[in-house]
Amino acid sequence: MAASLGYLLLWLSLVFSISQFYFSKNKAKIKLISISVNGLLISTLISFFLLIYVHVISDFSVLNVFQNSHTTKPLIYKIAGVWGNHEGSMLLWILVLTIFNYFLFKLYNKGNCTFVSKTLQIQAFISAGFILFTLLTSNPFERIFPVQTNGLGFNPILQDPALAAHPPLLYIGYVGFSAAFSISIAALTLGNSEKVPWYIYMKSFVLISWTFLSIGIALGAFWAYYELGWGGWWFWDPVENASFMPWLLGTALLHSLLIVEKRKSLQTWVLLLSILAFILSMVGTFLVRSGILTSVHTFALDPSRGIYILAFIALLGGYSLILFGTKSKKYFDNNYFSFLSKEGSILINNILMIVVCFTVFLGTIYPLIVEALTNNKISVGEPYYNSTVVPIMIPAILVMGIGPILSWGKEEKLKVLKKIFPTLVVTAVMTITTFLIYQSYSLIGIVGIILAFWIIANNVTILIKKNKTHALGMVIAHLGIGLLILGITGSSVWQEEKIARMKIGNEIKIEKYNVLFDRIDKIKGPNYLALQGNFLIFNDQKKIITKLKPENRFYPIKNNFTTEASIHTNLLRDLYIVLGDGNINDGWVVRIYYNPLVVWIWIGSIVIFIGGIVSMKKNINKIKIL
Amino acid sequence: MKKKLLIIPFILFLSVLFTLFYLLIIDRNPSKLPSNLLDKKVPNFETKSLFKNENFISSNEFGNEIILVNFFATWCKPCRNEHVYIKRFSEEKGIRVVGINYKDDTNNTIEWLKNLGNPYSDIPIDKNGNIAIDWGVYGIPETFIVNSNSIIKYRHVGPITKEMYKKINSLIEAME
Amino acid sequence: MKKRIFIIIISVCLVLFSLNFSYAVEPEEVLENQKQETRARNISKNIRCMVCQNQSIDESNSPLAKDLRILIRSKIKEGDKDFEIYKFLTDRYGDFILLKPPLKSSTLALWFLPFVFFIIGILIVYSHNRKSKKN
Repeated sequence: MAASLGYLLLWLSLVFSISQFYFSKNKAKIKLISISVNGLLISTLISFFLLIYVHVISDFSVLNVFQNSHTTKPLIYKIAGVWGNHEGSMLLWILVLTIFNYFLFKLYNKGNCTFVSKTLQIQAFISAGFILFTLLTSNPFERIFPVQTNGLGFNPILQDPALAAHPPLLYIGYVGFSAAFSISIAALTLGNSEKVPWYIYMKSFVLISWTFLSIGIALGAFWAYYELGWGGWWFWDPVENASFMPWLLGTALLHSLLIVEKRKSLQTWVLLLSILAFILSMVGTFLVRSGILTSVHTFALDPSRGIYILAFIALLGGYSLILFGTKSKKYFDNNYFSFLSKEGSILINNILMIVVCFTVFLGTIYPLIVEALTNNKISVGEPYYNSTVVPIMIPAILVMGIGPILSWGKEEKLKVLKKIFPTLVVTAVMTITTFLIYQSYSLIGIVGIILAFWIIANNVTILIKKNKTHALGMVIAHLGIGLLILGITGSSVWQEEKIARMKIGNEIKIEKYNVLFDRIDKIKGPNYLALQGNFLIFNDQKKIITKLKPENRFYPIKNNFTTEASIHTNLLRDLYIVLGDGNINDGWVVRIYYNPLVVWIWIGSIVIFIGGIVSMKKNINKIKIL
Repeated sequence: MKKKLLIIPFILFLSVLFTLFYLLIIDRNPSKLPSNLLDKKVPNFETKSLFKNENFISSNEFGNEIILVNFFATWCKPCRNEHVYIKRFSEEKGIRVVGINYKDDTNNTIEWLKNLGNPYSDIPIDKNGNIAIDWGVYGIPETFIVNSNSIIKYRHVGPITKEMYKKINSLIEAME
Repeated sequence: MKKRIFIIIISVCLVLFSLNFSYAVEPEEVLENQKQETRARNISKNIRCMVCQNQSIDESNSPLAKDLRILIRSKIKEGDKDFEIYKFLTDRYGDFILLKPPLKSSTLALWFLPFVFFIIGILIVYSHNRKSKKN
């Protein structure tokens, strides 16, 4: 019953999206538009909750529940399982679309009615497209008969809090760019006859998208780090790249919107960027769901779904790019930018973000292009991105340090040097200190540490001086990036690994720590059995720092094994132990990792998130005044 | 001038879309890899042969007729599933099939073949998996068609299915 | 419908197969000569695990990855140079096995376009700026 109602409500959502599309053509029909927007939101919301409901009560007559759930799953993961599959995640995607649709509607007032109506029309079209796709090819409420007594269960590795929160946060990011896209199309179509500050509206949505995309990506990396077992957290997997590209464009967009606000310049560029950001979000969806490539992230599906999504991308992308080509002239300006100024550094940031985005895109689709043209398969893996993306990011980070402290308009070179001298000194001091601690030198390590402290020093200085001329959100976010780079450099460059076969009672040394293999226990979890190793960690003063307990788990229902690493974290390093194969006679394979500064990746990500939230608050207050 | 420049990214956009569309509609498996040994000569190898006293020497055996080479193991479930088709290749179609036994226990193999039937003319033993590596094998079972000039003409990764059985037969018939 | 379930089961198996690892290099594989071992690790990090998703054989616990790791180490001990080992693997598995795409005519675009794009970007901004300055 619940499933049928959910299905019906999804059709109702389609009806509301079509009615919104129709009524928003005439800005006077505000009441009908309002009914459409609210109706669309409410019917989608209830439909989504009904899908959660059938998962929670384990209604295995619903195919989606049967394929992805199991009675033994803890409640939280029954709920999270709703969006851990293709059909359910499409419903989540649609829900977020309708929520952003609602907030677009909230902008409506007498002064901007034509503009917002047009925006709502575009958003309605996008929503209708996705709802139709879901109804026709990916119905989450599809039934299955005869009804089985239990489901196919769910991968125990994916039963994890970080992974549960990962998709919703990412989707706020991806889908949020749809709002920026709709605003862009409206601006291009209408030519801003109402003199609407569309860029301020766009900024709020881009801020929300960018902030949540950042934390969503970070959460995925965090999960990979503590779950996968060797301290890796980013693999340049095609679907990871698909989340990184909109993030890069979003970053460029945020910075360019600043220039639009302050100097009414670069408007055409911003209009193009917002179109591209959403197209890339959709390309990301396409890669995950079309079956065109395999990846740990893909929902393996049939190509017919891919064709639909591709056609939709072609339609929206083609229409928007042609519109941009023909109508963007109205926003064109001939403003001059001095490179040694805030605008100049934002421009450099934009060029670099676009180039990195292009490179990631190239690396991701190149194997597909080669396969289509030559029937050969090649791989483009981590080494490619390290050789290309990293060198391009370095000047971007450098500029990020100077940019905020430059003023608008041209700046004198001497003045700039005066401004940055104190932070240069601090950077030098911190760099030398770090290398005294870690004692291992490499070019990329030196560059990374200098960059990290350069950013941290600059922004901490601004914070301490309580300089009101700088936007607090920006300073915090930049500081977060500095901390992030610190963590990335430390964990990549100075990681130590020890692999050994250890019997009980054996001891091994890593860095300044002694690791003693104390004993093996057999333990029982809620849905697994495990072998747990007990390791005592001693520091150089022979004092026990901690006990680490890595596990090898066996899940009887899924009939598979997983390993759980055990990690001890402090601000300077992570100690990370993984238990491998073995037995009491021959001993066990033990892997120990010393990962310096890793925690700063996560701290940096949270700080970036806070910076985004602070900016969002300020921006929303600005809109309220409008 | 600006308008003409804008056409370039649009054309790039369209070409990327067409490429992706093309890849979707052709018959391809994103996780299967084409063999790098196609149209190349069979790798040379010499190894013990199950059921025979002399070693299996590849240069002696290939080059006279069309041979199917099937990498298999008793611990591999799909190998068991496809075995009926391997037998059909040998018994119904009269094709010579060489079965390379991959990382297996010889006693298990003897038992397995006793129970399921032995379609193989020879069973070279690849104890450590190095022969398989020489053939670019990455996921058994894998089956190769080698023509009468010792050239590898086709490779299938995974178990032989009904469709694959038909396809391989028609490929072999075309070669004769 | 059956096909869909099959595809989903396969994908789940693939996911399991690829996520269910933590054993990469095992202690018995490690070469005694530190320099040789470092060479082996570096080469392994560039070799794709053929049955995993986007992992190197250095990170994967699949049996084929292990065989290839051992093979690479034995070749290093025999005195093979890095490029000879890479050639041995690509002769058998094609360029797909390399995580760092080789520099060939087919990959020229891949390696040079990023920097070309960068220069184009700078040129566009620079020329636009110059025109604006004149006005």
